[in-house]
Amino acid sequence: MSILPALASRRAGVRGSAATPYLFLLPYLVVFVLFRFGPVVGGFLTSLTSWSIVGTPRFVGLANYRALASDPLFYTALKNTCYFLVLTAPALVLGGFLLALLLNRPLWGRGAARVLIFAPYAMMSAVVGILWNWILDSNFGLLNFYLARLHLGPIPWLSSEAAAMPAIALTTVWWTVGYNMVIFLAGLQEIPHELQEAARIDGAGAWQVLWSITVPLLRPTTFVVVMLTIINTFQVFDQVYVMTGGGPGTATLTLVQYLYFQAFETFRLGYGSAIAYVTFAILLALSWLHRFLPSEVAA
Amino acid sequence: MRRTWVLILCVALSIVVAAPAAIPVRAAAPTDLVFWGGWTGPDGDVMRGLVDQFNKEHPEFKVTLTTLQWTPLFDKFLTSVRAGQVPDLLAMHPQDIAQFSTLGLLEPVGEMVQHAGFKGSDFMDVAWKGTFYQGTQYAIPIDMHMHGVYVNLDLWAQAGLDSNRLPTTGTEFVAATKRLTVDAAGRHPDDAGFDPKAIKQYGLAMPNNHHGFYMWYALISQQGDPFLTADGSRAIFSDAKSNAAWQWLQDLVFKDHVVPVGETNPYQDFVTKRTAMLIDGPWQIAGLEKVPGLRWTTTTFPRVFNAPAAWGSGHLFTIPKQSSRARQEAAMTLAAWLVRHSQQWALSGNVPALLSVRSSAFFRGLKGRRGFVAEQPYEVILPDIKNSAQVFSAAAPSAIVVSAQAVLIKGDQVSRVTQDLRARLNAMLATP
Repeated sequence: MSILPALASRRAGVRGSAATPYLFLLPYLVVFVLFRFGPVVGGFLTSLTSWSIVGTPRFVGLANYRALASDPLFYTALKNTCYFLVLTAPALVLGGFLLALLLNRPLWGRGAARVLIFAPYAMMSAVVGILWNWILDSNFGLLNFYLARLHLGPIPWLSSEAAAMPAIALTTVWWTVGYNMVIFLAGLQEIPHELQEAARIDGAGAWQVLWSITVPLLRPTTFVVVMLTIINTFQVFDQVYVMTGGGPGTATLTLVQYLYFQAFETFRLGYGSAIAYVTFAILLALSWLHRFLPSEVAA
Repeated sequence: MRRTWVLILCVALSIVVAAPAAIPVRAAAPTDLVFWGGWTGPDGDVMRGLVDQFNKEHPEFKVTLTTLQWTPLFDKFLTSVRAGQVPDLLAMHPQDIAQFSTLGLLEPVGEMVQHAGFKGSDFMDVAWKGTFYQGTQYAIPIDMHMHGVYVNLDLWAQAGLDSNRLPTTGTEFVAATKRLTVDAAGRHPDDAGFDPKAIKQYGLAMPNNHHGFYMWYALISQQGDPFLTADGSRAIFSDAKSNAAWQWLQDLVFKDHVVPVGETNPYQDFVTKRTAMLIDGPWQIAGLEKVPGLRWTTTTFPRVFNAPAAWGSGHLFTIPKQSSRARQEAAMTLAAWLVRHSQQWALSGNVPALLSVRSSAFFRGLKGRRGFVAEQPYEVILPDIKNSAQVFSAAAPSAIVVSAQAVLIKGDQVSRVTQDLRARLNAMLATP
């Protein structure tokens, strides 16, 4: 006899109004509305105003969005953000995957290596920025010291338009690749060993097992990692703020950096909110891409 | 038995009589005052010491000083206004007053300053004028700071230069920087075979951020060129004079090779003897005094064109609008005390605005202030315009920073930079 009918009959005997589930949800809903949904709506309404935090907001309709469409600095920030995405996302996804593959094997010192690679992720962004500022300094930085010995430097990493964004990308990969590695490791450990063993018994080599068993079964994990990486990369702010402040010139000006500049440096909160909503719309569009992926990937 | 009772009664009576004297009277709680300033370096420690001294001397007040970098400090100020919890005393610069007074956040303080016993002739003229916007006084000044030139005396002597003859003109200055710039083979920039890719020691470190724009501002002022219209609605500097100013700065980096290209930390370059001179403000003095074995002095920002001029600014105290007049008056008591004790504040490197303190033997005896004090009469401060936060933002995408970096880091054509700067400034100034 199945246990389910018994449970169902017991559940039917419990008295409760239709509001009971909502009452259980209420504490979370209150927090959600106050601190998530409310600010989201408030932010959008702010984007329709001209407001400097103090005083009364003046309704300007879509004027901020129209101004944004003809603002060359906005396009510079968008282009720089996409460049940063191209520099970091493949390295973060592929690097995380390869590190996870390596450290999923029974190697000596595997635990210590996992900790060392993940450890930077636990550091505060300001600490990471200051640390790499010193490493990359053009005149007394550690990296340039060794590059000079190899007659390859010094390179003005953070003050050259060509090198500044790659330098920030390098810092970001060092800082966050451990996070992707941990997610991939969890995904790898979910794959049943029997499948790989069966493939090997059938004569599959290491590459065949990787391409035909591991990679396909990791697709849901890979999708999560790719989406999280795109979202986090598109919202890059801290390391840019600490390391270059968006410079030199506008070479490392990113969307969130520009949002911060408009909203909190020049007190144009409405315009800053409009940048936030356009960034949100771009991210939303990217997130919807999974609808066009094969069904087993999106699952 | 009866005697015992009498004794107990006497003791009880004596306790009752003596009680008011024996039990301390509870003192009135001190007034808490909130004081915000943007001093995050060694200057913050000096101000903290002054506040501690004020608290000891004034038990009726308890002042709490909060220091943050200027930009986040002003963000915090705006959000605190929104939350109805403003600081009682807020430090800022002359160019910030227009923005915050236009927003209606600052209390006019002319009367309070007068009641505190101060008048205009007590202060340096430029400092006093910097407390006014459209004829109304919104602040009391404590100091002035300006660009000057730090000189490493050991490297100066090694180059065979006379420490009694520090450069004052642009020509002398460039000649000295070339003498102080040495490549791996010991050659100087004007020597045959000089290798700019193998420079061991540079003559000069200088900022390439918003302070790069401030140097340009000083150089167009040296040519007698106005920057903006009197009402701050339009940029009116001439192309030729702007180009000449930018070109002089750019040549130091790309033609004369006396400044490292793309410096990220000029102060550190000077401290580590990578460069022999440094253009910076007096706020570096407190840090330099702690560097062991570094012998240095200061001289004026070079006079490159017709008249001497150096960028300057200052710190001043404002009182934000709030409902309690008593708290505002208490804040003025604190501000006035700090101004009168600005002799100690001078230890932070800043030059006191109060003339009596500036001429005191104590201040004149402080090391390394000579260059800064000498150029005070020629100090030029940024104009006070209502959207100064936008126009003079020190953040990377601002017009003034982008222009300075285009000239000093990218080596862009200066005429194009002049045109771009004018276009962006006029677009911002036209914004209502």
